[in-house]
Amino acid sequence: MKITIENSEAKFIVRLADTSVILGQRLAEMCSKGPTLEEDIALSNISLDLFGRADELYKIVAKLDGDKFTPDDYVFRRNEREYYNIKLVEQPNEDFAYVIVRQFLHDVYAKEAFTQLLNSENKELAGLSEKVLKEIRYSYIHCKDWINRLGLGTEESHKRTQSAVDHLMKYVEELFNFDALDKKYFVDCEKLKATWNTEVDTVLSESNLKRNAVAPLSMRDFRDGFHSEHIGHLLSIMQYLPRAYPDAKW
Amino acid sequence: MVEQKEYGHLWEILKEVPDPEIPVINLVELGVIRKIEERPDQDKIIVTITPTYTGCPAKKLFNDLIVEKLKEHGYNNVDIISQLHPVWTTDWLSEETKNKLLKEGISPPTPGDKIITCPHCKSVNTKVVSQFGSTPCQSLYSCNDCKEPFNYFKCY
Repeated sequence: MKITIENSEAKFIVRLADTSVILGQRLAEMCSKGPTLEEDIALSNISLDLFGRADELYKIVAKLDGDKFTPDDYVFRRNEREYYNIKLVEQPNEDFAYVIVRQFLHDVYAKEAFTQLLNSENKELAGLSEKVLKEIRYSYIHCKDWINRLGLGTEESHKRTQSAVDHLMKYVEELFNFDALDKKYFVDCEKLKATWNTEVDTVLSESNLKRNAVAPLSMRDFRDGFHSEHIGHLLSIMQYLPRAYPDAKW
Repeated sequence: MVEQKEYGHLWEILKEVPDPEIPVINLVELGVIRKIEERPDQDKIIVTITPTYTGCPAKKLFNDLIVEKLKEHGYNNVDIISQLHPVWTTDWLSEETKNKLLKEGISPPTPGDKIITCPHCKSVNTKVVSQFGSTPCQSLYSCNDCKEPFNYFKCY
């Protein structure tokens, strides 16, 4: 089965859907590995939100593209180069600081992106955005709180968190290399970038963390289906069962 | 809440369907059932529902429970339409429903998550333990007065 997406709005929305499902999978990997029971439950809950969000987004994609495929087809039957998630969310769970910093950088981005989509002419997308924003609020508060605590915590927690920031910041630049689709469906791309920068800088500086200069990444854009090497490993695990047993039903 | 003027008998039937996670309230009270239509010409019932939380594991179960309940009453041909707009909110829960939650040991949603009542001793001197609880719709709290832990139904 070759999955293709023709409709231009669907091509735009699938980026958000892919970003949600990949981040959801990364957080699902944390299930039973959280540092405390409450944190384990929190990460699994956020993962569930992301899967639910992806499911609804894929339904909109499917509808716009003539209902040729189901959400499961999009998730389980596409290869690396057919995924359009931001590279940030496919980065592995190196340690707890990575998990939290990655989530925080993503949430700030998603918060402003879905705020802009509240004005979408697509009623389903506008409605979903309203719902998603209520969910992101909890995840955002959670991560921001952890960034503060880790940044202002012990020498070790500060060191690890700074190292996660330095590493993950490399994958941020591409978020703001907007293309024609972004400009068509986001209300204000420049505002998306400005809001992100202001919020991230504020939280990092109140947590005694620095935003060091990063060398530009020689990797091509996620909008064209380019990724870091990690996504292949992630997909091989996530897609194993439906690939091995194509007729399996939930 | 929604208009329940038409097809009152069908609304009554669906009031028998409990929320799978919080059985003390039913799907009509929860506000997930938005519209019911009977199409006698096609011998069909159309139920429009809206999801509570996008990641709620009970999402699929809602559909099955609705179909099953209507079948029990002799309606074999049921279509379920899921619709995101207008967006489900905890504002749709009536005071009566919120009291049922409180009695069940779940602190009901309050605007902005500001004043959270302990369902055990009714004190409002409470603190959050974790924003995320045993289900996607609940947070974990504990009471500073009676020291008991409890679930709080998040405000959405």
